[in-house]
Amino acid sequence: MKYPALLLLILLASCTRKNMEELGPEAHLTTPFEIEPPHYFPVLDIPANNPLTEEGIELGRRLYYDPILSTNGPLAGRSCSSCHDQVTSFSVPTEGTAVLPHVNLAWSQNFLWTGKVNGGLEDVMRFEVNEFFQVDVSVLQAHAVYPGLFERAFGDATITNEAVAKALAQWFRRLVSTDSKFDRYLQHTEMLTDQELSGMMIYLSETGDCFHCHGIPLLTDNAFHNIGLDASFTGADQGRFLITGNPTDLGAFKAPTLRNIALTAPYMHDGRFATLEEVVEHYNSGVNPSPSLDPIMTKPGQITQLLLGPQQKADLVAFLETFTDDAFITDPELGSPF
Amino acid sequence: MITLHKYVLTAVALAFLITSCKKDDPATPDPAPVPAVSNTTLLIEHHIDDVPLTYDTLRYTNAMGHMFSVTRLEYYLSEITLLGTNGTQDLVLPGPYYINGTAGNRFDLGTLPAGEYAGATALLGLTAAMNQTDSLPNTTENINMAWPVPMGGGYHFMKFEGHFLDNGTSNGYAMHIGRNENLPVCTMPEPFTVASGGEVVLRFNLNQVFREPNVYDLSTGNYSMGSMMLMGQLRDNCANAFDIGYRP
Repeated sequence: MKYPALLLLILLASCTRKNMEELGPEAHLTTPFEIEPPHYFPVLDIPANNPLTEEGIELGRRLYYDPILSTNGPLAGRSCSSCHDQVTSFSVPTEGTAVLPHVNLAWSQNFLWTGKVNGGLEDVMRFEVNEFFQVDVSVLQAHAVYPGLFERAFGDATITNEAVAKALAQWFRRLVSTDSKFDRYLQHTEMLTDQELSGMMIYLSETGDCFHCHGIPLLTDNAFHNIGLDASFTGADQGRFLITGNPTDLGAFKAPTLRNIALTAPYMHDGRFATLEEVVEHYNSGVNPSPSLDPIMTKPGQITQLLLGPQQKADLVAFLETFTDDAFITDPELGSPF
Repeated sequence: MITLHKYVLTAVALAFLITSCKKDDPATPDPAPVPAVSNTTLLIEHHIDDVPLTYDTLRYTNAMGHMFSVTRLEYYLSEITLLGTNGTQDLVLPGPYYINGTAGNRFDLGTLPAGEYAGATALLGLTAAMNQTDSLPNTTENINMAWPVPMGGGYHFMKFEGHFLDNGTSNGYAMHIGRNENLPVCTMPEPFTVASGGEVVLRFNLNQVFREPNVYDLSTGNYSMGSMMLMGQLRDNCANAFDIGYRP
């Protein structure tokens, strides 16, 4: 073989051309983006028709922070970030229904407090685009910048609701928190204090029994539980029942992740508890029995209290505070692009 | 060195001779090929005695006389062994199979050797090798079945939860089993025949969990995790909670 390098070059060129032809006229150049969570996280399930790209994420980020998304809709003047501030783990303290944080939703299958939307991030973003914000894509289409950004991300400057939802889904998939003190403890790069370790033992044993609904590492089981906030239920406090009509779901709400829980007060679906101490006291002595109380809330001897002492409660709160991920709430790549 | 080579050559020649003799020996015919059945599946069903399980309704009565409902049922099956007889060999389906009572629970088995089987055995849970923290793939299901390290590590073998009536009051029960000492070994003595494409059906009678050899009292044992005694009772009761059949 006299010119092997030349032959190889021709071969490679022909292959590339063929691949581009197979991809069709919609083929365009994007930059793949990889998320590499620690080994103890579940594998990310990313739909084949919406792979993570730098262009898609950047577009989703801009849409997240831009009030243009709500123009001509019922929430005109507001953006996603109006209620989801990075410094509080993409949540904000409010009165009324508590704002769930946007963190690690890439591993979620049930969304919103009652699980009104099920499926993947694309599904919940379709809800946000079509029903919550009622996005007027003609406004985006007429914008000086957005058509070009959509073309870069998806190869088409024509903006559709579906494309907006896909871009937002990519952005939400990017909102990954894996660098709390507890993560570093799991990776053997940082030690917990004696008090935090004591709290961990309470969390991970029947003493506190937190792990059944808030297991490691997602700190949520993605399921719905009536944790005994009330003994009877009316209005929004009926929770999951409002979606399913199943009496067993009365008073049940999605178990929120405890990632950055120290940053996301007030607590519970209605924000009734102002501090983590109040939350722990609820589980310790304030659980209200009812026919739909989650079975896991009834402890040995059919009691609904944990019977923790003051030191144990303080230790448990100290452990909950190790779920705070400072890097996540200060990462400039997750902040506003404006 | 020459002597060593001679020994090696002799050994190699001998090995050829032995294997070739065996191959052509008319006195040892090749075993007849076992007929195989393709397109088979494993189906797991849940019953309360003879009634198919319905979630969330306080309608069943256990051996102690407590009315109860089922709100959650998750468990693993592993080492399902179809017991060969009359020409069939034992066949092991290692699993583990994660079962959620609300799902379809049908698993592709592909091709099975046809013939008669004397029954089956299975582990309701995981082998000791599997039952170690982080040994299973990090799916959300497996993560939610984790048994915390401070309590021994590994995984829940089973979560079986619901409500029951105790003197007219509704209470919760949570039958959780874990730790190797409490692994239920289930026996299914029902013979069955694999004849054509169909389903190996394992049926879990949840009322048996409360029945024998221990009449289980939910009023004193509503929460099993953390109690080796209660988990031991559940282990023994689960041993006879499954039966097996083949549905063409």
